[in-house]
Amino acid sequence: MKKQQRKEKNSNGIVLIVPIVLIFCILGAFVFHVAGRISREMSAAAIDNLSESLDLIRGTIEAILEKEAEFQKLIAREIELMEDPEEFIQSYNGNETMVKVSLVSAGKVQGVTNMGGTFDPEELDFSGGKMVEGLPVSESYVNHLGAWAYTLKCPVIQENKEAATLYIEYIYESFDTALPNRFYSSMASLYIMDAESERLVLKPKGMGEREAGHVNLEDFYRANHILEEDVKEEITRKVKAGKNVMFYHDIQKKRSLVYMWAVNDGAIYLIGYVPIEAIQREGSAVNQNIFIVAAVMLIAFFICCVLYFFTQRQQIKARKERELHNRRLAEALQAAQVANKSKTMFLSNMSHDIRTPMNAILGFTVLLAKDADHPDKVREYTRKITTSGQHLLSLINDVLDVSKIESGKVVLSIGEFTLSNMVSSVDAIIRPAAKAKGQKFEVTVTGIKNERLVGDETRINQILINLLSNAVKYTQEGGSIWFRIIGLPQRSSQFEHIRIEVEDNGYGMTPEYLETIFDAFTRAENSTTNKVQGTGLGMAITKNIVELMGGSIHVVSEVEKGSLFTVELELRIPEEQVDRNFWKNHEISRILVVDDDGDICRNVQILMEDTGVLADTALSGEEGIRQVCRAKEQNKPYHVILLDWKMPGMDGIETARRIRAVVEAHVPILFLTAYDWEELQEEAAQAGIDGFLAKPFFVSAFKEKILELHAALEDKGENNESAEQDSLEGCRFLAAEDNEINAEILLQLLELEGAVCEVAEDGQEALERFQNSAPGEFDAILMDVQMPKMNGYEATKAIRGLEREDAASVLIIAMTANAFAEDVKDALDAGMNAHIAKPVDMGLLKKTVRQYIQRRE
Amino acid sequence: MKKRAWKLGAVLLAGLMAVSAGACGQNKVLEGNLTEDEEERIRSVLLFAPMEKSDPDNENVSRTAFDITVGMAEEQLGVTVEYRTYTAENYQEKTYDEVALDRARNNMDDFYLLNPDAIQALGEEGKLADLSGLDCAENLREVVRTANTVNGKLVAIPQEIVVNGLFVNKDMFDKYHLELPNTPEEFLECCRVFKENGVETPVGANRWWLENFVLAQAYADLYNGDSIEEEIAALNNGKAKYSDYMRPGFEFLQELIDKGYVDAEKAYVSEAIEGEGPDFLAQKTPIVMAYWGAANADTAYGKPEFNMQVIGFPSKRGQMPVVPLTGYGVSAEAEHMEDTMNVLDVILSDEALQVYTETNKVISPSKNVQVDCIDALKPLNDRINENVYVLGSNANMKVEQWGNTCNIVRELLNGATVEECLAEFDKLQEESLKE
Repeated sequence: MKKQQRKEKNSNGIVLIVPIVLIFCILGAFVFHVAGRISREMSAAAIDNLSESLDLIRGTIEAILEKEAEFQKLIAREIELMEDPEEFIQSYNGNETMVKVSLVSAGKVQGVTNMGGTFDPEELDFSGGKMVEGLPVSESYVNHLGAWAYTLKCPVIQENKEAATLYIEYIYESFDTALPNRFYSSMASLYIMDAESERLVLKPKGMGEREAGHVNLEDFYRANHILEEDVKEEITRKVKAGKNVMFYHDIQKKRSLVYMWAVNDGAIYLIGYVPIEAIQREGSAVNQNIFIVAAVMLIAFFICCVLYFFTQRQQIKARKERELHNRRLAEALQAAQVANKSKTMFLSNMSHDIRTPMNAILGFTVLLAKDADHPDKVREYTRKITTSGQHLLSLINDVLDVSKIESGKVVLSIGEFTLSNMVSSVDAIIRPAAKAKGQKFEVTVTGIKNERLVGDETRINQILINLLSNAVKYTQEGGSIWFRIIGLPQRSSQFEHIRIEVEDNGYGMTPEYLETIFDAFTRAENSTTNKVQGTGLGMAITKNIVELMGGSIHVVSEVEKGSLFTVELELRIPEEQVDRNFWKNHEISRILVVDDDGDICRNVQILMEDTGVLADTALSGEEGIRQVCRAKEQNKPYHVILLDWKMPGMDGIETARRIRAVVEAHVPILFLTAYDWEELQEEAAQAGIDGFLAKPFFVSAFKEKILELHAALEDKGENNESAEQDSLEGCRFLAAEDNEINAEILLQLLELEGAVCEVAEDGQEALERFQNSAPGEFDAILMDVQMPKMNGYEATKAIRGLEREDAASVLIIAMTANAFAEDVKDALDAGMNAHIAKPVDMGLLKKTVRQYIQRRE
Repeated sequence: MKKRAWKLGAVLLAGLMAVSAGACGQNKVLEGNLTEDEEERIRSVLLFAPMEKSDPDNENVSRTAFDITVGMAEEQLGVTVEYRTYTAENYQEKTYDEVALDRARNNMDDFYLLNPDAIQALGEEGKLADLSGLDCAENLREVVRTANTVNGKLVAIPQEIVVNGLFVNKDMFDKYHLELPNTPEEFLECCRVFKENGVETPVGANRWWLENFVLAQAYADLYNGDSIEEEIAALNNGKAKYSDYMRPGFEFLQELIDKGYVDAEKAYVSEAIEGEGPDFLAQKTPIVMAYWGAANADTAYGKPEFNMQVIGFPSKRGQMPVVPLTGYGVSAEAEHMEDTMNVLDVILSDEALQVYTETNKVISPSKNVQVDCIDALKPLNDRINENVYVLGSNANMKVEQWGNTCNIVRELLNGATVEECLAEFDKLQEESLKE
């Protein structure tokens, strides 16, 4: 789904990007095209402009040359009229234009000059044949001023005959003042070249780079890297023909226009180059502006795109949030509907499950009233009423538990406990039920290093009982149930990592049911299990408790093959674990374990490792006897001997008998057995067995047994006394109970126990009654909690606050239907001494009362 | 966040629109006179100088340094320095010096870069203005002032003291186990060894600079002795003969030519560096002569592929640098005299000379400017620092030395005998005595 959404998002992005890129490309191409066209047009315009500039310079120079020639002709005409032209020549003072004037009479080799001395026309070269206004012009040369010069010669005609020739020398530098000072902002270079000699005779001021100076055309080529022979040949051909040349070439790494512009029919040339950037300065500016505008437009477009994308993203985000919200609403609705359905079903189930025992109770009470004269029937009816009532109670407890867990109000009651006690209490509950159904119930504990642990014993008990009672319920008669507690490798030295396995070979569950087994208000439905009563809350409670403890629960099951529930928990190990002195104080340092099951022997060894007691093992009775004998011979007798009952070969009874014959009388021999030992008790006692120890083996149970044996020796009449002490005979109670029926039941029950009870209808009345009582009048106050006027907590606090000697010490027991751990805590916090949940268990009441009375005494 | 983005976008778009609108609104008509005043626009001084390079792609450090200082003047004064230049196409054409003399004598330009002989000639003719009034003249080393003072007028100031020396390929000397020569005899011995080992022409020469050998040997004692003024006075009044001073040098050159250590025919038609430079850089010729600056980077011999050393010319007083002081002279009738003087004051100021000297790594004419030289020039620099050198020209001598010696050496190259050459000196001395 997500992939598809991503794909859609990507394709949306591509769909948007493609036109954007296309727009950019079109815009770029358009700008490029316009810029190119502008460049070309500007370039063409600049070439025209350059041509015009060169034409202008050419025109200027040609005009100067023509004026020089015309002026020279004028002088020649004047000379024609003179009587002594040589004197005129010699008297002439040269100026910046005509620097030298010479006259050679016809028929003479040398002539006169204004510079003094003679003038030899042979020193000048007129072979080039170039003319200015019909006057021959010489090749260029460096004159006496150190300047490049040329000479025009003009015939002086007298009487229709050439009487003399007038030579006037001009310098190129005189052009300088007529030429522009800057040519393309001094970026263009310009030289005047004598075409015949190809010498560069003038670089006008401001024409081109100051540091570039050349001798001749070849030097110009070389300096500017115009090395292509075909280009040079073309130039030579054009120059010889007196034509203009203009072409593109790279000069000093810049694209330039090189030109050779003929002046005076190619007698002299203007040569040089202009970088394109100098010609296209306006074009570059225009192009730059176009690019700037285009860039600005692109930026604006880009900003628009960004804003668009940003808005789109915001909208998409908002839409997604709406979708998510709607989805959650839909899910919540669905969940509510499912919950509603479940609860409707639950209520239906509850109605059925509550009405069933209630029907039995009410039915039997009717029968009870009818058959009140038949004691046997009365007993039978009351037994059935009790059973139905108990079932109803457990149903209510479960419902309340689930409600409590689901609302997150469950608080674990953490305390120290021993695995042995826990296992034995669970065993005590389950084994009879299993036995009733003819089921085999096996309990094994392996790999546990610390049997004393910290945790909520009640809740763990609840888990075990839930799992095991389910196993008993959902296993056919004669089936098997395995209860295993396995010590796993510790992840931390401070925690015992245990796995609890409850396995059966019962009805099993379908895969569909396995998916919902831990959901509340579900119950396996089939023809077999429908016979079984249950709230459908047990597994949900179990899973919640396990998770509350940070553990995990898993189940594997197959229909008609059985189920395996696995719970893993990590329980903290108490800091003071081992009382090493116990064994020393009781002089026990060696024990012998005789059992045909090697695992049991090894387990005992593991558990006894930390106690400092050496545990030897024997896998048969015979071997056990041999070891006992050997130990005695070596003077290392065993101080306790643990025997299995049923062993192949010699059984436990026989083995005990033989061992007892060898060992001393005070060495305890204990039967380690999973079996009910009542039927064995007599035979065992005869064989010299001192007691029984339940499998699985626990060190704490072992210690208790040792203590028990020692105590039994010291005080044999204790059991009778205890029975007497548990009685409530002669006790006086004040009961605060607003419910008349409950009060009456309580009165009846206490009366049966020989006790006297006075009832107060609420807390206020109880307080007043106690205030008016004589000190020690009441042995205990039984305090309901929820009462009108003054509740139990307030009444207790008030009683404790009275200024009476016995106000602080009088035993106050909460007797309430508020049965949760928090309620117990609240009761104790209010100043009560103990808490007993309704319905009242008289055994528990007796035990509690006796305990406190004894303590006070 | 969202609001801020919208605001930012709106502001940017508004900014773009404002810029665009502003650009459109700029199309206003410019008013008033749009051209500059002609006189303000064109204020230039004209320089005649030989240093234009023919290859614009190849940087000429010397010229670049000069241009930097000219740029300083143009910026400070608001004038443009324009150039005229001349380069002979071949040896038959007028030389730069000849053209420079012609132009200076006819007042064609405002100022000139002149060689020693031209300075002396134009100074004597009164064609050059007195520069002693310039601020920059106060910082000049005495040697410069002495060499360029003609008839009591300081007629030229250089941007560098040109020191000529022998550029030798030390690797080739080492190859043949030769010490660098101090005396003419040692020099001849080195040439012999090179020649015998197949070096066709041990000394690369051109038509300009062989005179350094002659001057070094002629005046080693005079300039490094204690009686300079007396000896010069004797030459000026004819009691001593220039030809006597010149003889050892000319005989030495004749021997070089006779033994084939110098190719006289080639030298006679070769321009400076162009003729001998390529062979020297190709390590075919172990010895050439050139000016100090040619050893610096980006110049003629700036990046040789061998160990190059610059030493003095051989003389009986050991290796002898020859110092032909060039300089900028201002036409006495310069059209733009004031601007020209101002330009010179800037380009010859300590500030400008510091830049010039650092760029070119040369010896500055200002006593206030000192710059370290490159390794190759250290032998020559050491001699200068010891005040051991020979002047290439001296305005106090009535017979100009630098140009005349160059011309007469050229005649030797052209086949004249030593005696004929020396007779030319006698002739020049006689003419000077007549003045």
